[in-house]
Amino acid sequence: MKRAIICFVVSISCFLLSGCWDRTELNDLALVTGIGIDQKGKEIELTAQLVVPKKLGAGASMGGNNSGSSGGATIVRSGTGKTLADAIAHLQEKLPRRLFWGHVKVIVFGEKAAKAGIRAHMDFLSRNPQTRLRSNVLVSDKTAKSVLELLPPIEQSSAEVLRELSNSQILMNITLKDVLQMLSGETGAAALPMVTLLPIEKEKTPLETIAYIDRTAIFKGDRMIGSIGDKLTRGALWIRNEIEQANITVSLKGAEGKITSTIIRANTKLIPSYKNGRWKMTIDITSRDDVLLNATNLSLYNEKHIHQLEKALAQATIERVNATLKKVQKEMHADIFGFADVIHRKYPKQWNRIKNRWDDIFPEIEVKVKANVVVQRPGMNTTPQGIPEDEVKK
Amino acid sequence: MEKGKISALQLAMMMYPAIIATAILLVPAITAHHAKQDMWLSPIWAAFTGAITVWIAIRLHEYYPKQTAIEYSAQIAGKWFGNIIGFVFLFFYLHASGIIVREYGEFIIGNFFIRTPLLFIMGSMILVCAFAVRGGVEVVARLSEVAVPVVIVVIALFVIMLIPDMEIKNMFPIFEHGILPSLKGAIIPQSWFSECFLIAFLLPYVANQQDGKKYALFSVVAICLTLVMVNFTVLFVLGNITARFVYPVMSAVRYISIADFLEHLEAFVMAIWVAGAFLKIAVFYYVLVLSTAQWLRLTDYRLIVFPIGFLILLFGNWAAPNVMELSHFLGTSTPFYLNTVQTVIPLLLLLGAKWRHRGKKA
Repeated sequence: MKRAIICFVVSISCFLLSGCWDRTELNDLALVTGIGIDQKGKEIELTAQLVVPKKLGAGASMGGNNSGSSGGATIVRSGTGKTLADAIAHLQEKLPRRLFWGHVKVIVFGEKAAKAGIRAHMDFLSRNPQTRLRSNVLVSDKTAKSVLELLPPIEQSSAEVLRELSNSQILMNITLKDVLQMLSGETGAAALPMVTLLPIEKEKTPLETIAYIDRTAIFKGDRMIGSIGDKLTRGALWIRNEIEQANITVSLKGAEGKITSTIIRANTKLIPSYKNGRWKMTIDITSRDDVLLNATNLSLYNEKHIHQLEKALAQATIERVNATLKKVQKEMHADIFGFADVIHRKYPKQWNRIKNRWDDIFPEIEVKVKANVVVQRPGMNTTPQGIPEDEVKK
Repeated sequence: MEKGKISALQLAMMMYPAIIATAILLVPAITAHHAKQDMWLSPIWAAFTGAITVWIAIRLHEYYPKQTAIEYSAQIAGKWFGNIIGFVFLFFYLHASGIIVREYGEFIIGNFFIRTPLLFIMGSMILVCAFAVRGGVEVVARLSEVAVPVVIVVIALFVIMLIPDMEIKNMFPIFEHGILPSLKGAIIPQSWFSECFLIAFLLPYVANQQDGKKYALFSVVAICLTLVMVNFTVLFVLGNITARFVYPVMSAVRYISIADFLEHLEAFVMAIWVAGAFLKIAVFYYVLVLSTAQWLRLTDYRLIVFPIGFLILLFGNWAAPNVMELSHFLGTSTPFYLNTVQTVIPLLLLLGAKWRHRGKKA
């Protein structure tokens, strides 16, 4: 009897092995790789970039025989609604598969949506258990849709292109987590990378271009107030201690041609000080460089020339940083550098007194930029190549 | 009634998940809300409650080495009054088990199985625990011995994998508003630490009594260190937005991305969380069943395992109408509730025991 009962229980449990009752098979899901958010009048337009599984990986298996398929591995679909969640519901109506947000790589805001405020969207994106704080956030200079619908030639989707571009850290690299931190932080400002479409080449369809990051959108509160170009962005990266790769080109006094050097390592310290009711900020930059190119006739094996070069490089860095400060601090009044956090950390007591007036204080802060550049190696060449020995200035 | 014996190390390994399992999920957000960047200090203050509770349990155990809390409360406070204290313990552990099961269910549903019925998730977990509890203290102890090292290794791996995303500067300024915020942040975790009183029910079954005391304190230290490490990690990764997440550890782990392919690791959080919650529920469940049997003076506790499991399920369902209320209850009432039953009542029992044994050499 007991054995019969055990047998019965064991066989009953086999029914459970078939899986969960509310399982979702992969071929019932629409994998979203990128989200675009645009403002359309009073409504929000949400654009989702979806993976077309048939096409994904077809390139490898079919070899050269992909001339017939004009489409790429992704498609875009949009829905509009009063809020983001509302727009998703409308988007879902148009799709045979359930939307799945776990693989969202980038979130792109259209410029209009960014200017209208992004806080409500951010709340949705971090509240949803499927989306990830790791997704990169960007702003498009046109609509978000125009960026996501591109079919890039090398990568599988334009979302992947944007993620790779962000991660290369040549300009800003901001994740959803960073945005949330900036929006709820003390600075009251945020900076997001901004993408532009590469001009279309002749004889190519409009979608066969790529979008690339070349500006930075500046936010005050959760609204975009303007943008700065790539040069000024590099300056901001210097101040934020986020610079990874940089080539600096300078010309030295008394020599024709230019010298370019590349940064191996760079570090920036922000040192606040408070005297007689006035705030001062010292930006202390140190970097180690290698020479990349020497178009002058100077021999870089000469200690004197190296010192001259180091000074010129430091001066170029300082000028770059000052240009950024002039635009962002004096004109836009947006603390994207994190000065507020630095002061908060070093002077917590004084900070509590000034934090309500920070918007007035920030543009008035006196900033001093110091740079110390050390050139360590000349590359593979000793004296400049390609000119007669006697023209080299030793 | 319980013939099984456990080793001192097994005791420590049962205590560890009994506190850590839920403490690393909901508590960091509550601590961060009060303590802000000093949140890493809070578990250290909180551990004092754990140490005091363990000390009380050990002293009581020295007076009545062969008995559990239910049995000696009748001896200390008299039959009638002792039974009331026993009932308070029983009801408390029933309610606490229900809350833990609910926390488990809410986490699983909130993050993974959004549309699965809560009762199903809680019920299947209680069923599995019921089998472990029926097996007795030795089975629960051995399960802990298997699972706890895995849990520790996975937590450590998470911390290591998050190192590239850590910003040490998030912890400054230390003591911005003095020591008070970190103490406030410690109020909730310290009530978790009072759950160390569970050892009062387990110490009689420890084979090596001398080591038992040592390992009980050792597990308090281990729990404290784990919480400090977890809070550091969360603080360094999420910084000022830690308190904005219901499960900060989960959010931080989801942020892991190494070399573009080592990502989407939340399944591992789920795995250690399920393992930890299983052990935690099993330990509470076992203590509840054993004490009920002792309170009712039954000869065998196995009979009441399933009925009590059903009660836990009901209490889990009744614990709160929604997550917000559950979190509010945990964030406001627990210090009074947990500490009264698990620290204050034992302390009164200890004083009573001292009074009973006055004149005698303990």
